[in-house]
Amino acid sequence: MNRRRRTIMIGLALAGASLSACATTALPPPELVEARANYQKAETSAAGRLKPAELHDAKLALDRAEAEQRSSPGEPQVKDLAYVASRKAALAEAQGNAAAAMEEKAKLDAEAAKAQADALAASKKKLEGMEGAVAESKAEATRQKNETEKERTARVAAERKAQDAMEALEKSLAVTREERGMVITLSGSLLFATGKSTLLPGAQNQLNKVADALKTQTERHFVVEGHTDNVGTDDVNQALSQRRADAVRDYLIMHGVAAPSISAVGKGPIQPIADNKTVEGRAMNRRVEIIVQKPEAPSTPQ
Amino acid sequence: MRNLALASVALALAAGCGSVPKPEARIASSEGSIRGAREAGAQSVPQASLYLKLAEEERSKAMALVRSGDYERANYLLMRAEADAELANALAREKAAKQEVEQASERVEKIKGGGTP
Repeated sequence: MNRRRRTIMIGLALAGASLSACATTALPPPELVEARANYQKAETSAAGRLKPAELHDAKLALDRAEAEQRSSPGEPQVKDLAYVASRKAALAEAQGNAAAAMEEKAKLDAEAAKAQADALAASKKKLEGMEGAVAESKAEATRQKNETEKERTARVAAERKAQDAMEALEKSLAVTREERGMVITLSGSLLFATGKSTLLPGAQNQLNKVADALKTQTERHFVVEGHTDNVGTDDVNQALSQRRADAVRDYLIMHGVAAPSISAVGKGPIQPIADNKTVEGRAMNRRVEIIVQKPEAPSTPQ
Repeated sequence: MRNLALASVALALAAGCGSVPKPEARIASSEGSIRGAREAGAQSVPQASLYLKLAEEERSKAMALVRSGDYERANYLLMRAEADAELANALAREKAAKQEVEQASERVEKIKGGGTP
């Protein structure tokens, strides 16, 4: 019983061993398994697109190894052919990768060339911009120079004209040069009727001369001062002198003197220039003074 | 007469087995492939140098087999050597191409970076 059983077991084991031996020879060698995997890997790599001929070579090598496996399983050349097929698949893959890298490189080279061209264009543009700015500032400097020259010429001409006008005025009117400026004194009796502040027709001749001269005195301030004698109350005289100063100022403005540059003030009898006890003195005190202030002290007097 | 014919068949078979010719072409082409891999710089690329070494070993084994007259095994070993050498060559070129890509990429970065300081 025991011995019989052992015999059967040994027999089974032997049969199993022989079966498994058969199965082993039928199984593909690891080289072929690797070759199949390598080919699949290569097929899905860049080689599929870029190296189809090399991939086809790898396929042929694999087919040959497979055929050898079918016709002569277990023979050593199956392994050799599978080994070769494996390398050929890897070869196709490597060549595909290299080709893909070259494509990438060409793209990068083009990008580099474009970037270089862009950088060059940008620096050229910048340079042109700088040149433009230089030219512009040069032109601006020239323009300013011309302008200042023109301005200076104009100013010199205006100053001469102003001086000439004042000199002409000095010849025909009472003009004195005082600390407060140039003072043009007009006789009250020539300008106004007694107690009135309406300009007499004969006043126009003198006032026109004054207006013509003052028009040329740019950047100066003028003060028209009304003065009276001491006959009558101070209040009345003050008011009268103010109205007369205003009348003269208005006339001058109407005849071309810039309004902002001229003011009028009534002084009343407080600043006599002669003795009020005499008729002549009182006549002299009734007057209108036009002060052309010095340019360095253009503030309004009060 | 019949014996003679049998003998001739036997001779032919024997010759057939032994008559695998000396694989002259593959001896030459495998050598060329190994040289090509070296020229591509396969020794200095780790992955490629492995296959180059295999190719050299296989070829020297094959040459020993050639000397001992086993042309059939020698032929297969030479096929292996050639395939390994070709792969070493391709891997070296792949590495070189990838290095060129890196350099081109750096160049682009440099130009783009330098353009706008």
